[in-house]
Amino acid sequence: MIPDYYEFCNSTKIVSGTRAIEHIGYELAALGASRPLVLTNAQLLELKVAAIVIDALADTEAEVAGVYDEIPVDSSAAVVDDVARVYRESGADAIVAVGGGSVLDTAKGAMIVLTHGGSLMEHRGAESLLGRRAVTFIAIPTTAGTGSEVTSAAVIKDTERHVKMGFTSLSLLPDVAILDPRLTVGLPPRLTASTAMDALTHAVESVSCVQANPLSDCYAKAAIGLIRDHLPAVLDDPRSTKARLALANAALMAGAAFSNAMVGIVHAMGHAAGGVAGVPHGEAMSVLLPHGMAYNLDVACDRYGELLLDLAGVETYAATPAADRGAAAIGAVRSMMAMLHERTGLPVTLGEMGVEPEQIPDIARAALDDGAMSMNPKQPSYEELIEILKGAL
Amino acid sequence: MAQTGWKAKRGRKAVAAAVFAVLGRGFVAAARLDERVRAEAASWPEDTVITLRIAPFGPQVSWRKREGVLEYLGGVQVTPSLAVIFKSVDGALPLLVGMKPVLGAFAEHRATVSGDLALAMSFVRCLHIVEGYLFPDLMTRRILPRPAERRAGHLVAYGTLVFRRARLEGASS
Repeated sequence: MIPDYYEFCNSTKIVSGTRAIEHIGYELAALGASRPLVLTNAQLLELKVAAIVIDALADTEAEVAGVYDEIPVDSSAAVVDDVARVYRESGADAIVAVGGGSVLDTAKGAMIVLTHGGSLMEHRGAESLLGRRAVTFIAIPTTAGTGSEVTSAAVIKDTERHVKMGFTSLSLLPDVAILDPRLTVGLPPRLTASTAMDALTHAVESVSCVQANPLSDCYAKAAIGLIRDHLPAVLDDPRSTKARLALANAALMAGAAFSNAMVGIVHAMGHAAGGVAGVPHGEAMSVLLPHGMAYNLDVACDRYGELLLDLAGVETYAATPAADRGAAAIGAVRSMMAMLHERTGLPVTLGEMGVEPEQIPDIARAALDDGAMSMNPKQPSYEELIEILKGAL
Repeated sequence: MAQTGWKAKRGRKAVAAAVFAVLGRGFVAAARLDERVRAEAASWPEDTVITLRIAPFGPQVSWRKREGVLEYLGGVQVTPSLAVIFKSVDGALPLLVGMKPVLGAFAEHRATVSGDLALAMSFVRCLHIVEGYLFPDLMTRRILPRPAERRAGHLVAYGTLVFRRARLEGASS
């Protein structure tokens, strides 16, 4: 069904393939940039993952203005402001962000500050940043999960209030996203699983949220099919560049889907659990996804039912009565969780990740205030959130 | 043709200004009548100013929370802590006259938010309660996330529109 009104934008150039990073010199030149600041974190430097990009840059006409590697797992407004300061002082003319969601979102935050001035906290909001971006931006993900390389959203932690702040603006879309399986083949199984579940959650939520549209649906369903087919293959053979590239593309497609359709209750609860209890985002998504789907089932049954085809395959879909497909889709997600728990130790409850019962009220309150909740097809009360979170504990 | 369109737009802006005036006082009325609105507003930082505006030139309506009081500021120019800005009067009107849900404005990209999104979520929860007082059930059934719960009837609420300020003491947040 075509919505009464929708918007869709994905302007990022996608460069995907084994050794795709070697084209970074061309991409920078095409964008008119020659002094990139590389953003990454210390662990990626130590594991020589960032070195793949830095080595590729060394063989170009570009001169690296610097390497900033002090980005923590949960970035903050202070880190963003510091990156902007380093960018200005280094005389850089582009940002090349190499990392997971935290690194990529930090780059987006820095671009906001560099374009609009002041501090990141002065620019909170949704769709409110206008004007052309002042910084060239190439995003190179090292996980297959966040999809941040093609999203208009960034999540940055407010370390004072212990909440994750969302920023959305089309000006956050990277100019180029490079997917190269050499950057993800070394991911450990549990991180591979949790980031893939993050991507799956992006895809599922984008289909059920109120901004869903025909184009975002296409990306979401393609992403789910790729995850279903290639996540087990990656766990079977972690060095398979073909399967790794497929997962990276799945994460990208899910990112394009949710960037244009948004996410809902699962992300709202996950952001809140991350802010209050430090729960890793991908693992929170994995645990909370079936609970969020179950809550939405009465209003999103048909939409979830459509996803059964991609989640479980054509035979299961055809054998399931139409009225039961929505619930069966939740069952398929639970089956995937169980498989990942058995093969990688991925948690299946919040309790396994250290969430205490007394933290549930704070998580519920923070979830109610999370912007993602506004796009869920059904608005929960505080009491309902408490029940959902207790169910996931 | 162009002149007709211009006149029609001016008419729509006049309707929006009138709705803003009712909504502005209705928000204060709901705060006087309903402890849920008082609790939400009490949780806002001191000197919070919230503005609803139609881009680029208005009309607009604002409220300020200061020293335990929520005040309706009318359409005066202020520097808001939180601004919900409709991209056009055509985008705003369906929401303002109760034809579309508040959250629908964001779902359909009709409005932008400048400021803390957590504060915006609190403000939207208040608007849902305010709409419950201003609109009949026939309309609220379509635009609110759940059936309206009222602490007083519509007539009392409309009678309370004479006030511009509501004390927030007694909020249970």
